[in-house]
Amino acid sequence: MPMSIGNQILVLIKKEMVLEWRSKYAIGGIMLYVFSTVFIMYNGFIQIEPHVWNVLFWIVALFISVNALTKSFVSENTQRQLYYYTIAHPLAVIFSKIIYNCILLLILNILCFLVFGLIMGNPVKESGLFFMALTLGSCGLAITFTFISAIANKANNSATLIAILGFPLIIPILVSLIKISASALRLMTDTSVTTDIWTLLIIDVLLLAMTYLLFPFLWRD
Amino acid sequence: MKKNWWKILAALLLLYTILAGFLIPLKSGIEYVNKDNVNSGADFEVRAYCYNTHFSEVDEIRAWLKIDSSHIIKAKEVKAVGNLMADISFSLPQFLPNNKSHVATLIIDNKKDGYAILPSAIQINQIAFDTILPEENFEYVSSLDNELITINSLSFPYRNILYETIRNLFFHVPLWFGMLIIFLVSMIYSILYLRNKNEIYDMKANAFTQVGILFGILGLVTGAVWARWTWGAWWSFDVKQNMSAIAMLIYIAYSVLRASFDDVEQRSRVSAVYNIFAFSTLIPLLFVIPRLYDSLHPGNGGNPGFGGEDLDDTMRMVFYPSIIAWTLIGVWVAQLTYRYLILKNKLIYNRNNKNRHKN
Repeated sequence: MPMSIGNQILVLIKKEMVLEWRSKYAIGGIMLYVFSTVFIMYNGFIQIEPHVWNVLFWIVALFISVNALTKSFVSENTQRQLYYYTIAHPLAVIFSKIIYNCILLLILNILCFLVFGLIMGNPVKESGLFFMALTLGSCGLAITFTFISAIANKANNSATLIAILGFPLIIPILVSLIKISASALRLMTDTSVTTDIWTLLIIDVLLLAMTYLLFPFLWRD
Repeated sequence: MKKNWWKILAALLLLYTILAGFLIPLKSGIEYVNKDNVNSGADFEVRAYCYNTHFSEVDEIRAWLKIDSSHIIKAKEVKAVGNLMADISFSLPQFLPNNKSHVATLIIDNKKDGYAILPSAIQINQIAFDTILPEENFEYVSSLDNELITINSLSFPYRNILYETIRNLFFHVPLWFGMLIIFLVSMIYSILYLRNKNEIYDMKANAFTQVGILFGILGLVTGAVWARWTWGAWWSFDVKQNMSAIAMLIYIAYSVLRASFDDVEQRSRVSAVYNIFAFSTLIPLLFVIPRLYDSLHPGNGGNPGFGGEDLDDTMRMVFYPSIIAWTLIGVWVAQLTYRYLILKNKLIYNRNNKNRHKN
């Protein structure tokens, strides 16, 4: 009996989780990266100002997402991808990956925040706003990098291509994120936080809509 | 010849844009005055520093201080100091209209240059306060409507912050207009490719995107030149500048993406998808996000757009043709690029065939 797209997405997300659980080295590697970066930065700066903390946090978050998400299409070989497409709707494949990556990235960013707080102190004054930035940021980065890695998947040296295609898209997202979290750290009394949140939401929705429209043309070979 | 009329039109319009855009002079204007704060009842002399005026060539220079639409003070005497400076003497009434302080506009005219206006030139403070408005026989000029000399020669408006850079309107703005149209055409070809899988559409999309990138970079450069004069720096990390640069990076990534495929069909398909995606990000980057933040750019962040007195009929006479000219030139270059791509493809195909026969 053919499953609905919603059910297919759920099954595929479960599959991604099982795969991730079986090869824990991926998450382990990323956490090792976070620990060593934070350790180096702490040794370099010793005393970290809140605005430096803010920028450093989002740069580390950016590279976490590059490391964690670029593999989403590249790691699976062509035969297995072909198999997915024969049993599932292509939209189910891409949206399961996007949802899974959002969750994964949110968890990784929270872990990253814990490491930052542990080693370099926690300057966040408004936790609610900061966690909203974290959630919106994780979703934005996850959607962008999943879509970009779906595009770059077919090309030669796709890792470099992901950086080239993804970074221009990431700049507006990161700029708004840094502004939102700067007001969560009370570094500036900016009244345009709602504007930033709307910008992020617009970018996220736009990327999702483009993925929905364009991915069906992308997967077929 | 019949088929190529639009190329001739493009070349002629572009020539016209460049010639008219650079040769038509600016109207005369007042740059600033050396005194901006005086008290009522005073007799004072102020030096006006002007632009594009020819004071030493005319017999009479006239000047007025306009307090409001019905209270205008005529200058007692205007002396020319060289071509570009004038010493103007006024004598002010003891009591200003409504017994209040006012900010007055300075107006100068002569027979050769026509009139020039400096809004909010001089603040006049009402020093003596009295509950009863005294009767005073001060002679105001009540209207300048038919008084001012206008010169009916071709000239662009003088703006205090723009000066000669107002001519950049014929290059900076049409380049962005042209770029938008060219990217739109490119996206339409990409959609056509995804529908019909015809290789020709992909090559056309590629050619148009290349020209769009060129226009975008030229638009950024002309914008930076303009910003250097009006905002004080080539690049001031204004949100409009940043978002345009990001949009260009997204399109440059298109070329990189194309270069990293071996399979032709795959390359065409993936780059068509990416091209549609890029155009859908271009519009929010250029027109939505800059409106949400503070920007120095006209038309963004609460600034008024370029229009009204900035864009008078002489400006329009050059501005509208320049948009058509740059767009047509863009299409022409895109057509040439497309033909070049076809020739290159044929060459590679022939060479491969030859090698195959040899083997």
